[in-house]
Order: sequence, then structure tokens, then C-alpha cells
Amino acid sequence: MDADTALRLALARPESMAERTAAEWAPLLAAARESALLGTLWHLADDAGLADGLPEPVARHLWGAALIAEHRSQALAWELRRLDNGLLSRMSPGVALKGAAYLAAGLPNARGRLANDIDLLFPRSEVERAEKLLFFEGWSGTHHNVYDQRYYREWMHELPPLVHQNRGTTLDLHHNILPETFRGHPDPARLRQQSQALPEPFRFRILCPAHLVLHAIVHLFSETEWDRGLRDLYDIHVLLGYFGARDGDAFWEHFVAEAEALNIAWMAERALWATNRLLLTDIPPEPVKRLARARAGIALRGLGRWAFVHGLHTRAGSVTPRRDAVARGMLFLRGHWLKMPAGLLARHLFHKAFLAEKPETATAQPQPEQHG
Amino acid sequence: MRIADLGQARLQRSLTGRGLYLRTGPFTSRIQSPIASVARGIESLYRDFEVADHSSFYDFHCELRAPRSHRRFYRPQVLFLADRRSVFKPLAYHQAYPMLEWGLNWCIANQVPHRLVLHAAALERDGKALILPAPPGSGKSTLCAALAHHGWRLLTDESVLVDLASSEVSGPARPVSLKNDSIRVIRDACPSAVLSTPIADTLKGAVAHMRPPTDAVRRSHETARPGWIVFPHYQPGASTQLKPRTAGSGFMQLIANAFNYAALGARGFHSAGRLVEQSACFDFSYSRLDEAIEQFNRLADGR
Repeated sequence: MDADTALRLALARPESMAERTAAEWAPLLAAARESALLGTLWHLADDAGLADGLPEPVARHLWGAALIAEHRSQALAWELRRLDNGLLSRMSPGVALKGAAYLAAGLPNARGRLANDIDLLFPRSEVERAEKLLFFEGWSGTHHNVYDQRYYREWMHELPPLVHQNRGTTLDLHHNILPETFRGHPDPARLRQQSQALPEPFRFRILCPAHLVLHAIVHLFSETEWDRGLRDLYDIHVLLGYFGARDGDAFWEHFVAEAEALNIAWMAERALWATNRLLLTDIPPEPVKRLARARAGIALRGLGRWAFVHGLHTRAGSVTPRRDAVARGMLFLRGHWLKMPAGLLARHLFHKAFLAEKPETATAQPQPEQHG
Repeated sequence: MRIADLGQARLQRSLTGRGLYLRTGPFTSRIQSPIASVARGIESLYRDFEVADHSSFYDFHCELRAPRSHRRFYRPQVLFLADRRSVFKPLAYHQAYPMLEWGLNWCIANQVPHRLVLHAAALERDGKALILPAPPGSGKSTLCAALAHHGWRLLTDESVLVDLASSEVSGPARPVSLKNDSIRVIRDACPSAVLSTPIADTLKGAVAHMRPPTDAVRRSHETARPGWIVFPHYQPGASTQLKPRTAGSGFMQLIANAFNYAALGARGFHSAGRLVEQSACFDFSYSRLDEAIEQFNRLADGR
């Protein structure tokens, strides 16, 4: 079995990990490492009672990754509590999004998940006040040039990322879940109104179950870079399964209604198809039927599905690298096309190509001699 | 089967085909490369290392090849890929072999989450580990290469592995990297050492690698108890001096040389803490290698 198929199967049916041979495990681990899913695999194997039966070097890699994820989660929870008890307490509580929300609410996809930054949602009118307050706690802005400031503050759904001066943690302040210029614009007030309280000691709130999953969906299906796509799809898979099992039809009813109310039924339709196809998510027929209205036409549908499947392949584990590269290119163009109207997009890409300073070298490849 | 038993033709075929599964201590690396200098380097420097078959697990997947651009013909370059992704800036084609060594170091530094990984050299004697953490230019590799031929067992020149639970120390026992003057120094001090042909014009100057002694390779699975942590400092003209260092400052200096200390959180802290508690910490300045070897032998003998 190729590594990508084996990885998806491990996520969908953890007991399948017992069947993997040593030769299959090596590329499977590489694919999981690339998708930031190593720690997740450890917990899945452990829950399935397989941890003791794994080949020893495999267990070491998975266990080690779970350790690192655990430490990252502790650090994130600590940072969240500090934010919650700090100057932000002068404002009405923000809504924790994505990794921070999964962690604070103790959702099943949080275990082993490598959360990177903190995302908080505030009303548009208050988000810059939050930014100003946070400055006094050591959070300062990035992207200092005029064009980038305008890009974020006028066109995007979040402010330029804040970075903590001592700890290097990244914090994104959102006022919506999609850019202002995006095709189809969800009403953020709806998200905040239905948000729910977190258990003590948090003041922060989280999105209601339907919105939580829809945000995970929006995050992946509006993305231009699908590099960690499988991790995002796995979030959707786990959340759908968890809330579907907990709240049954009431959850699915609300999920479909909210997808339509937020103008993102078309993304929800694609997500349900992809998570069912790739991770065997158990989805009842009713929401699929109701969302079928939001399907693309037959030609675009086939092309889109082809691109989603190939875009979710890893570089380390794929057996179709050329097709994947084409799909990644298509998804990149698609993401930009959705993000901005054509005129603005042309202007933005022209700026990025010819006028913008080249990005800082933080992500550039290191010199090999540093490791000698 | 060892590299020496494999023979040149089969080594070549493995590297250009599904890959050479090379065992170095606790790790297996799958290495693919069509480059002749890579095959030659492995054949000479890894002579005593075990080779695993293609049904085995491997920890790291490495590939060295020319870029798929005009730079395979015009001023040719070489790329190092881990898990099929290029992780470094390209180097000039003739530097492919050192790039393999640096790349394997990168793999250990970046893809080993289950141990505390220190940027340090380490050797063993009578079951006790001598750890030499130091930034480049401090003479760590020179000391390491010399001690490996004077009664100490080489654990590693570059990446010390510390068990998170027991703080036992081990290393992959891979070739030792020598730079510039230290190449000549080791040739003089260790006549039995086998060195690769130096490559003159890397960013760090001339680089050669030393084949690990056979015994160190055979015993690379044996761990060592914490023994001594010594911060070496080479200074031309300096007298040989070993000065005790407090455990606290030894700890701080040790974690400054750890790759994944911060990522491991409390476990990294306790592991490093146990290691320092069970070791004696020293600062060591030297300029004469023979005196340095003598000093470390006295240390091991408790004199």
C-alpha cells in the first residue's frame, strides 16, 4: 500500500496500523511528519490498543512526536490563560478559534495536534482596540510596510499577525473567518451570537459546534497552500464524527442551516465529499442531499474533486508527484481567485511580483555547513 | 551484511536504485544518489557499518542529486533532499559527500523527537560518557578524532543522543568531520586514522571526514552512563587547563547546545538535569593535542 493511502487509512481506521509492515511504516511516518500528524497517530494507535504492538522504532517516533505536541499544548494553554487574565479582560470576551478552541474545549482532535499560533475573533469595531491593549503585554505587529498593512486591514479578515516579543508566539486577531474581499461573505455577528462559553477558568468563548466545523472547512477550502491539508481535513473528519455522534440529527440540521445562512454551503458540500471519500467519515444522507444544491456543475465538479484529492497528497508519500504538482498549482490559483475579485487580484499579484520587498529569510533554506 | 562485504558494484546499484539502507547506531538511513563521489565516500568511510535489506524500517530518507534545472550542466550543483524535500541551499557538485554528512546530521537534529539531541561530540571509556559540547571552531572534532584513536570509544562527533527516561548517552558513531588545520593535526597524531580526500573550498574551508574506528562501529548500540561534560576551547598558544565548572552553569551551557531542548519542555529539562547531576562539568582550554589526550586519560583514570 502506498504511504498516502496507508496514512489516510490509519486516520480513518486506526486498527489498520496493526497490518503495516516495517517497509510500509517508514514512508508512512514521513508522510505523517510532513502533515504534522505523527503525534495524532500515536494517540490513535494507543486508543486502539496497538501502542505495545508497534515496531519499536515506529513507536519511538510517534511517541516522541506526541511528547512534543503535548508540550506545545501546555505552552499554548498557558499563553491562552495569560491572555484571558490580562488586559483583554477589559473587553467583552473574544472567541478562540481553531487549535486554541480545540485545546480549550478538550475536543478529540486536540490530542497530538501540533498547534502553531493562537487565533482570536473580535467584532470588527473592537479588534484594533484588542491590538492596542496587547501591545502593552509585549505583543507587537509584523508586516510593517504600507502595502501589507493595507492588505490586512482593508481586505483581509484578520490584522497583521502579532508576535510576542519574548516568547515568539504568534497571535492572529480576526474579525471574520473569510477575507472581506472573498466571494461570498459570512456575517461574523452570527458567529459571535451563537458562540458558547468555555469551561472555567476561561473567559474566552468558542464557536458553536456547527460553526466550529464550518470554520475548519472554510480554513481548508479557501486555502491557497494545501501543504498541511490532510491535517485540516482530519480536523473536519473528527469534529463531524464527534458532534454527529453526540448531538445526532440536531447537529446535522444546524450544520446545514448555518452553512446556508453563512453563504458557505458550497464549501461545506465539497468538504463532506472529500472527508467521506478520503477519511471514510460517516455522514448521514440527509445533509448530503440538502447540500447537493450547492454542487458545482458536472465538469467543474470533476476537476475540483480531482484537484482536492491530489492536493491532499504528501510529497513524501505520494506515488503521483507530477499530477499532485499540477493539482497544487490549480488549488493555488483557485484560492487566489476566490480570495479577491479579478481586478484587485491582478493588482495584488502585480505588487507581489514586482514591487514588494522579498519576504524575510526566516523560511529560507539554511546553509548545510551549519550541520557540520 | 557490512558495506565492506557489499562490494562496489552492489553498493552502486543500491544507491542508484531503491537506496542503501545504512545502519548507524540506533538509526537506519535510506540513502539514494547517482553521484560517484557519494558512493566512494560511503565505501571508504562506512566500511564497517551494517547494511539492512529493503524490507526494513528506515528512520531517515535522504537523496543527493543535481537540481532538475540548467544547474545540472552549467556550474553543476547538488541538492540534499530529506523525505523528498530539499532542506538546504544547493552546494557545488563536488561537495556532495560532505553534504551527505551534514544532511544526515540535519535529519538527527530535526527528525528525532524521542531523545534529547545535543550538538556535541561524545566518547566512552569504561562505560562512562565524555560529552564535548561546543560551537564550531572550539576544537571539539579534533579532540574527538584524537581521543577516538587513544583509548576512547567514539560515540559521535556531532549529535549526542540522551535517553529521556534514563539519561543514558549514545551516538551513531558516524565519521568525524575535520576542517582545515585539524586535518593535518589528526594525520600526524593518529597515523592509523583513515581520512577522506579533503575538499578545499567549502564555506568552512577544507573539509575531510575520518572513518570511525571499527570497534566503535561494532559497539555503536552500547549506551554509556553520564560521566563528564567538558566544554573545550582551543586557543593557539594556550596551556592545557581543566577547570571545574558549577553544575548550574554547565546545565545552561549544555542546553544552549541542544537542538530540541525547548520542544521537549519539562522532559527535556529533567533529562538534561539528570545528565548534568550525574556528570562532572569542566571547562578545558588547550593548544597541544598530546597534552590534551594525556589530560583526558588522567580524567578517566580518576587521577
